[in-house]
Amino acid sequence: MIFNSLRWGIQAWYGLILVAVLTGFGLTAYHVAYDGQLRRLDRELEGQLAALSRPGPPERPPENRQPGERPFPGDWRRNSFEAAFLSRLRETIEQFGAGVDGRTNAYYAVVWDAQGAFVARSAGAPADVPAPALLQTSPIPADPEPGAVEPPRMRMVPPQPPQARTRGEVREVFRHEFFGHSLLVGRSLEPEMAAMRHLALWLLAAGSGVLALGLAGGWWVATRAIRPIEAISAAATKISSGDLTQRIPTTSTQSELGRLVEVLNSTFARLETAFAQQVRFTADASHELRTPVAVVISQTQSALARERSPEEYRQSLEACHRAAQRMRNLTQSLLHLARLDGRQEPVQKKPCDLADIARECADLVQPLAVEHAVTVHRDLNAAACFGDPDRLAQVATNLLTNAIQFNRHRGEIRVSTRTENGVAMLSVHDTGIGIPAEDLPHVFERFYRVDKSRSRGHGHVGLGLAISKAIADAHGGTFELTSEPGQGSTFTLKLPTRR
Amino acid sequence: MRILAVEDEPDLLASLLRSLRDEGYATDGAADGPDGLFKAENFEYDAIILDLMLPGMDGWEVLRRLRRTKKTPVLILTARDAVRDRVTGLDTGADDYLVKPFDLDELLARLRALIRRAASQVESRIQVGQVVINTASRTVTRGGEEIPLTAREYALVEFLALHQGKLITRSMLYDHLFDENDATLSNLLDVHISNIRKKLGHDFITTRRGQGYCIESPL
Repeated sequence: MIFNSLRWGIQAWYGLILVAVLTGFGLTAYHVAYDGQLRRLDRELEGQLAALSRPGPPERPPENRQPGERPFPGDWRRNSFEAAFLSRLRETIEQFGAGVDGRTNAYYAVVWDAQGAFVARSAGAPADVPAPALLQTSPIPADPEPGAVEPPRMRMVPPQPPQARTRGEVREVFRHEFFGHSLLVGRSLEPEMAAMRHLALWLLAAGSGVLALGLAGGWWVATRAIRPIEAISAAATKISSGDLTQRIPTTSTQSELGRLVEVLNSTFARLETAFAQQVRFTADASHELRTPVAVVISQTQSALARERSPEEYRQSLEACHRAAQRMRNLTQSLLHLARLDGRQEPVQKKPCDLADIARECADLVQPLAVEHAVTVHRDLNAAACFGDPDRLAQVATNLLTNAIQFNRHRGEIRVSTRTENGVAMLSVHDTGIGIPAEDLPHVFERFYRVDKSRSRGHGHVGLGLAISKAIADAHGGTFELTSEPGQGSTFTLKLPTRR
Repeated sequence: MRILAVEDEPDLLASLLRSLRDEGYATDGAADGPDGLFKAENFEYDAIILDLMLPGMDGWEVLRRLRRTKKTPVLILTARDAVRDRVTGLDTGADDYLVKPFDLDELLARLRALIRRAASQVESRIQVGQVVINTASRTVTRGGEEIPLTAREYALVEFLALHQGKLITRSMLYDHLFDENDATLSNLLDVHISNIRKKLGHDFITTRRGQGYCIESPL
């Protein structure tokens, strides 16, 4: 379960990356420090080497020399000079480091001749120091024949850079000197290693501290990052358990989560509205059924309470009949709406003309118009569209019936059809009482009545416009409604001309 | 007993009025809010049946305005059955609440209870000496023997018995026993009183000359 947690996931990855970074950093620091130690040691060793490579007697300064005299006294024939040099070097080496036995940081020195043969070692030098590789130079010219007049040329090696090597626990620096012999100075690495161990421990401690701090900070950051998600989850849980009024608290609308929260909140709001509409619809439907049922029950109970005259029985039966008619209208409308809602009966679309439909419907409602003393004007232009003629006729009839019944006495109705910008339109304008502005957004809602009881007498159930709207929706069309209280209203159905 | 029914559904109003008249109540009807309020304010009713969804002025408003001047018991009769509606109704000053569709018998029983409570009577059985009036079955017995009364006579007896010991003026009796459709002849009341005295004994109703009638309290 922990491994499925987003917070733990973030924390684990974060920890891994932190460990990798710290390790890399620590190793680099360790190496840099180690290199520094070695370089410093190498410089010391080189200093020692330089001191050793010029064994006494000291070089005579030029002002003490006779003209033409060489800087070094002695036999300048090659072999004897070299031998003298080496023997002096040997002495120097053998005295080097004397009296410092047992000290780990004591230097030692070893010398080999040009052929790699061991010459001498200082007192503290280990016995098994391997000779450095021989210098690859041109072959040494053989000594001239004895008795030759020309003295042999000095065999000199050009100055070589010192080289360093680490051998186990020791560091050694060596250089091929001018006779080809190799001089090596070494020292144990023990003090450096001790320092490095110390450094390693420090790095480990500091790294652990940083890791702990980093993990704690990461936990804090992850917790902060996850808090809005937890808020979302909490709100969603409450909503799913039925409390639709819940909203996720918004802190920032700019962040990614803030935008998500906005989207979710608007979704929840729409859900709540839809739910509330559904609940109200059910309540309204049962409410609408209650009155006719009450009529039937009270009429029959009252009629059956005692002997009545035939006229009274007739009145009761007529009342029950009216109530039953109203219930039938209501249930039919409800069924109709439910089918449109559930898309159970897809509209049978085919090419048709709104003008034809409007004409038929206007003919159909003519008797009702006469009854209400309302004049119907027609302005029917071709308005070809793609739809279900029966359903569209239902819409037109509903609009016309409303226009007649909500009209004033001797009022007028103008029904018009036309095509504008690829939209087929059917408009019904009346000269009735109009609809107050605050009611305009609601007139297409189910059971919505502008005057809470005005339409009851007409046998209306308050679903006509809702059904018309549902039919328009099923056709991909829209309704437009403009109204001026006291002047009249205009309902306009707009349908796309093509499929 | 005189009752006002305010209901905009004509068929429902008709059956209500018929049943109430059958029960011997004097009944008036109103089909919209303003008419209902006018009648409720200007006539003496023993109870009012009030629908909530009314044209012109809704039932809440009628009740609110009526309560400024009168304490007439009001029974709300409505299709709105949400608890909130009931609470609002009762808090606004309604005395009872009945949801449509309703049973006529229940409505009538609740009306009787309302009228009784308004007269500070708790039981449906009222005893005056040897005479017992049962308001539930609308019967009157004297010494255990049932006395047949006409609906109007019974209403008169019940009204006087409910207000035992109080002086009831003739105009009060006219207000409560006759509805707006009755031709109220001035001597009609005397005829009813005389008939009741023949059936229940002359001393049952005391006449206060020039003032009205009274059933003396047994105390």
